[in-house]
Amino acid sequence: MAQLIVPTPAIVTIEPGAKVPLILRARRLVRSSRPYLMLLGVSGFFLAWYLLVDNLKLWRFRELPGFIASIREWVNPDPLYGVSLFTAEYYSHIWASVYRVVCAFVLATILGVAVGILMGWRRIFYGLTFPILELLRPIPILAWIPLAILLLPGRELPIIGLTFLAAFFVTILNTLLGVKSIDQVYFRAARSLGFSELAILRHVILPGALPYVFVGLQIAMGACWFSLVASEIVSGQAGLGYKVWETYYYVQFETMVIIMATLGFLGYLSSALVRFVGNRLMRWRSRILAGV
Amino acid sequence: MAVEAARGGALSIRHAGKVYDPDGANVVAIDDVSFDTRPGEFCVVVGPSGCGKTTLLNTIAGFDELTVGEIFLDDELLTTPGKRLMPGADRMVVFQNGALFPWKTVLWNVTCGPIQQGKMNRGEAQVQARELLSRVGLRGIENQYPGELSGGMKRRVEIVRALMNDPKVLLLDEPFRALDALTKSVVQEYLLELYDASPKTVFFITHDVEEAVFLADKIVIMTTRPGRVLKIVDVDIDRPRDYHVLTSGHFLKLENDVRAAIHGEARKAFEAGERELA
Amino acid sequence: MTIAPSATGVASAQARSRRVRRWLASHWNLNLLLGAISIGTLFLLWEFARPLGIPAISNLPPPTEVIQTSASLLTSQLYWEGWALSLRRITSGFLLAQIVGIPLGLMMAMHRASFDTIFPIVEILRPIPPVAWIPVSIVFWPTRELSVIFIVFLGAFWIVLLNTIGGASNIDPNYKRAALSLGSTPGDLFWRIIFPATVPSIVTGMAVGMGIAWEMVVAAEMVAGRTGLGYLLWQSFEINAIAQCIVCMISIGIAGYLSSEIIRLFGSFVAPWQRQR
Repeated sequence: MAQLIVPTPAIVTIEPGAKVPLILRARRLVRSSRPYLMLLGVSGFFLAWYLLVDNLKLWRFRELPGFIASIREWVNPDPLYGVSLFTAEYYSHIWASVYRVVCAFVLATILGVAVGILMGWRRIFYGLTFPILELLRPIPILAWIPLAILLLPGRELPIIGLTFLAAFFVTILNTLLGVKSIDQVYFRAARSLGFSELAILRHVILPGALPYVFVGLQIAMGACWFSLVASEIVSGQAGLGYKVWETYYYVQFETMVIIMATLGFLGYLSSALVRFVGNRLMRWRSRILAGV
Repeated sequence: MAVEAARGGALSIRHAGKVYDPDGANVVAIDDVSFDTRPGEFCVVVGPSGCGKTTLLNTIAGFDELTVGEIFLDDELLTTPGKRLMPGADRMVVFQNGALFPWKTVLWNVTCGPIQQGKMNRGEAQVQARELLSRVGLRGIENQYPGELSGGMKRRVEIVRALMNDPKVLLLDEPFRALDALTKSVVQEYLLELYDASPKTVFFITHDVEEAVFLADKIVIMTTRPGRVLKIVDVDIDRPRDYHVLTSGHFLKLENDVRAAIHGEARKAFEAGERELA
Repeated sequence: MTIAPSATGVASAQARSRRVRRWLASHWNLNLLLGAISIGTLFLLWEFARPLGIPAISNLPPPTEVIQTSASLLTSQLYWEGWALSLRRITSGFLLAQIVGIPLGLMMAMHRASFDTIFPIVEILRPIPPVAWIPVSIVFWPTRELSVIFIVFLGAFWIVLLNTIGGASNIDPNYKRAALSLGSTPGDLFWRIIFPATVPSIVTGMAVGMGIAWEMVVAAEMVAGRTGLGYLLWQSFEINAIAQCIVCMISIGIAGYLSSEIIRLFGSFVAPWQRQR
């Protein structure tokens, strides 16, 4: 452990493996050029939007909704088209979509991880299920829309079903990869130590596959939002996807921007949530001594 | 003699042979290997790459099968072609690259064996674990994860994990290979301390001749592929041994004997382009 | 000590059972058998769903009808036109994504400043599902064709970008050091070290991106297109020609699979050092 004996408080000795204190990280960040460039990039984008659409009205850009106009609509207590931060309709659409995503995602996680682990654990199960999976997987999720509408009753179930399907395939694949990635030596050690088959499942397979599983869950979350929006556009009556199309149809472009931004935000939030849960469950990963 | 028999752990290897047959290319890993170990004896197998020492260890441990020959443990037939051997806690292994479960704490890793087998409850196991860990110089790390430990610490934890199961035979597959020379000598001394306190039959594999002579009661020198027993050397240096032994005349003579025997085989292995598998 | 049975007898019996077990255990054959069982069972269930009274699947036309429909469909010009158009959109959008994404990704990986500037916008725009961009795309682009290609581009672009950045950032610094100590110029360093080391990640990005591209084309054609396989799929549904619908589904699946395989072949050709012994 290197000791820098310096009188100023700016330099601090840090033990290898210890968490760098937050204040130091913040200070380091502010001193570097990073946050300023980030700000530059983001504001550059919005500036370009404003210039091209609101101000200069260049070429096709003039057809697009303006940056200022959209923001104004969003924070308007009495919006022109009935959707803003202050209206109930906004939140009812958000809730409709979020509800569907949550249902589909939870179901896909439980079933997907279960099937994936079974496939990695038992060769016979793999032999039976893998061919079916490989046959069905190349078919784009949206191509299932007609079948989903035919096979599943009602309006909600087809949408949830499609969203589920997208996440399901991704989760199975990544879980399988995770199980396969576990070094054989851990199984040997477990057997020598006298673990029962169930104990191996619980203490070796599940924790060992978890890193890959969580990568898969993040991808699955993205896939969920994608299928959700598409199926809502095609067959929904409520929800953010449906609303996007409606705003296009009724030429309410500012609202369209609001909905798109909301979708982006929710997508980011949900992925971050999955990542957060993953990091909590896999605390052992973050605590790795550097370079030993 | 009676005390020795009660301890158990007498390994008897008779004409063991293993042939790998990947796509019809008959690869003879070991050929007609025979030797015995007494209960509580520290037996080290030395040999160049490709001599099949890991294959032999895997067979005793239960991860691999022989094609010819038999292995007995305490006069009980352990394995023979056609008899599927299961790994078990009576033959605990310390693996070359470590097999501590990275997602469990040190304490869980060390105590899981007896707990899973139902031999101890958690309280007893933890008490014994802490005691053993402190004997190898590791105190207070019980709640850390393997990823936070250094190489030397991990090896010691794994040895403790093996010993917690009170095995009849302790199998170590080049366990100190990845350690630097200084750490290696410290960990070797800890191993010997544990061994002296309660001698078990040890089956230790290494490339390192000095390590072999330092640790062993008996050294089995193997040829390069196909692995056969070249020579057996008895090491009659008194225990307990510490690093001063390394420069004694008797030690150096023994080391010389082993090196002379093995050197020719090492060159053969190198020229045959043997990859480091065993 | 055990009494050894007749050596030759045991040996030949063992050899026989070993051969049988090896035949079964060889991945190929056991998996083939199990695959045939499971697919066959599903097929039969589907075929006899109506007489057996299985709830949902009976709504679907049985496989035999689907096969008959495919025969007629495969000879219709509309079908093959649909193929051609969808393929054209896929290739345009996909290639565009590579042309823009790979250089951008490489630049972002090599220059910290460009990364810090551009990445936040990427992270803001990326979570918005490309399907949600469809209305914007229709409004902005003068033709439907361009709007569909834009959506395909968008979907593939994020993947290419992320994979390229990831691949270029994870190059072992020792390779770069070795090259520099051997006297490489910056140009050499890029073309002979950085670029080839990134190629495997780029290829992975391409394979995944191709899958996404097909999803996008179907979505865009169903919603905004007037031609193409996706549009055909939706049309068949609207006129209640379900068997035709299913044939379209399968066709798109096959098309997607083939294109991914081509990419994979291309990948192993371009990066042969990735092939394992």
